[in-house]
Amino acid sequence: MAAASVYTPAGFDFSNEVRNSFLTERGIPLPKATSTGTTIVGCLFKDGIVLGADTRATEGPIVADKNCEKIHYISESIRCCGAGTAADTEFTTALISSNIELHALTTGRKPRVVTAMTMLKQMLFQYQGQIGAALVLGGVDATGPHLFTIHPHGSTDKLPYVTMGSGSLAAMAVFENGWRPNMERAEALELVTAAVSAGIFNDLGSGSNVDACVITATHTEMLRNFVKPNERVQKERSYTFRRGTTKFKKEDIRSLVVSEDVIHTGEAMDTS
Amino acid sequence: MSIMQYNGGSVIAMVGKDCVAIASDLRLGSQAMGISSHFEKIFPMTDRVYVGLPGLATDVTTLHHQFRYRLNMYTIKEEREIEPETFAHLVSSTLYEKRFGPYFIEPVIAGLQKTASGDFKPYIAATDLIGCLNFAKDFVVAGTASDKLFGVAEGLWEPDLEPEDLFETIAQTLLNAVDRDAYSGWGAVVYVLTKDKVIKRELKGRMD
Amino acid sequence: MDVSFAITGKGYVIVAADTTAARSIVKMKTDEDKIKVLSPHLLMAYSGEPGDTVQFAEFVERNIRLYHIRNPHGLRPQSAASWIRRTLADSLRSRRPYSVNLLLGGYDTSEHAPHLYWMDYLGTMVEVPFAAHGYGAYFALGLLDRYHDPEGSLEDGLATLRRCIDEVAKRLVVAPGQYKVKVVDKDGVREIAL
Repeated sequence: MAAASVYTPAGFDFSNEVRNSFLTERGIPLPKATSTGTTIVGCLFKDGIVLGADTRATEGPIVADKNCEKIHYISESIRCCGAGTAADTEFTTALISSNIELHALTTGRKPRVVTAMTMLKQMLFQYQGQIGAALVLGGVDATGPHLFTIHPHGSTDKLPYVTMGSGSLAAMAVFENGWRPNMERAEALELVTAAVSAGIFNDLGSGSNVDACVITATHTEMLRNFVKPNERVQKERSYTFRRGTTKFKKEDIRSLVVSEDVIHTGEAMDTS
Repeated sequence: MSIMQYNGGSVIAMVGKDCVAIASDLRLGSQAMGISSHFEKIFPMTDRVYVGLPGLATDVTTLHHQFRYRLNMYTIKEEREIEPETFAHLVSSTLYEKRFGPYFIEPVIAGLQKTASGDFKPYIAATDLIGCLNFAKDFVVAGTASDKLFGVAEGLWEPDLEPEDLFETIAQTLLNAVDRDAYSGWGAVVYVLTKDKVIKRELKGRMD
Repeated sequence: MDVSFAITGKGYVIVAADTTAARSIVKMKTDEDKIKVLSPHLLMAYSGEPGDTVQFAEFVERNIRLYHIRNPHGLRPQSAASWIRRTLADSLRSRRPYSVNLLLGGYDTSEHAPHLYWMDYLGTMVEVPFAAHGYGAYFALGLLDRYHDPEGSLEDGLATLRRCIDEVAKRLVVAPGQYKVKVVDKDGVREIAL
């Protein structure tokens, strides 16, 4: 029986596991966690790395979030795009970002991309693919620009241009066609936009806007909603209801304003 | 039949002009059989932070107690009230801690966040059952009628609604969506949070 | 196949449960008391997995009693219900959970009001004006919706209960023969012959 304790150890808590498998035995299937169909890409150019991502989050066939952020902060000049189980990408990158910061403070050096990549792959391998995070990691460090893909089971690739997620095929087609070594910044950004757009328009799991991030040795530029090809137009008509439309049985208004009446009693103190 | 539909229930939150609203139905069922029409799923955590917990009813109670406990610890340690954004992260980490044996709840958070200038900014968020946060500028939904709520809210919501108009919009969105969901309904409750008051209204809804 | 009902009224809670102890298709006993008296103002009807039910009910009974001995005041219905729910929820997370559904009726002597809680083996708990467990619930809840009066006298409550029992006897194939009925009000707990 779970005892109430003020101290909670770090890491995952499996205390519901027994109950949940008991419920499954009773023939009730467990729900699937939010999985994000995604297009995330990254490519190398002359001065650094460009990362790109769409902004759609899905729950099965439902679009849960039309403008979510998939490019996560690892350090000032390292960023990570996440695809797969949304919560896993969010928490895995946050944990590694935290550890990278501590690592940077202990070593007194700017963190390297391989360090982040190794931390991520070791964590994902430890969990044997149970943490469903598929990542594109990119950044610039003392040894130059680096771009990696990390799969949920912990395998990694180091390539000049990479794509991941359900829109990866569409995006890769664009890269295969358009990528050249030593591109200019503007060219690379345009190519990344085209690759993500290919995912947005051809893959059902990806949609909405293009987020991009340009990382060079000196500067990191996060271009949130860089292109918005699916802006919603102004509604032609307002659908507000006339006040009083909805009938209610009971109303309870709680005032948050603290009012205080000061009543003076007795005479003022003699201060003469 | 998924475990998320075992007891039924739905929650929605919406942003208005300097106000937020959060609403839920009141049904508690045991699969198709209705047990109660007074099962509240929305709980006040502070004066300006409210949380809605649709999903498996046993976890509604367990998580409500868990959040209350963690919130009390926070308030004692920090010697101040929690802000909605911080609370959303508390919810998110509490759920992700149980990543491999989750609670069957999809929380919705609505509140007014204090800004540097002393004003209050509307804040809403929702998470999935393992704690993936979803901030939205317009509305968030969860529960057995979530797909219907998405559709109705997408059509009815508009920016900068005054508290009274926001009440009508969220109430009509909820009532019409749950009428198309067998597992939600049996009455509804709406909270509208403004900078100086909280209005709670129990709606007249279909009882079928 | 257990059937149990509970109804609140003006200052009382009626709790009724069938008295059949069955094993497979055989009736082993027809005078089993499935309503525990947890405290002078608290009743608990239990049903579910045979074995689990009695074990759990006795566990709860002894713990509530222990609380009464240790503290100057006994647990109020709300507090007792909350503790029992927590125990069930914790049990569900153990290797061998209790499969027990409960109806908890009590009279709060501090606020002079009756309380009734519906609880299932998952740890779901809700306060209700009337409740039922088992196959009888499918027949009784409709009747209770129609005839329940929260301000009704004990006679009204018993009349409503009789309607439920009669309906179950008429339409349920595996209807139990007898019921034990207990009432809790400001004077405490007592058994009533229908």
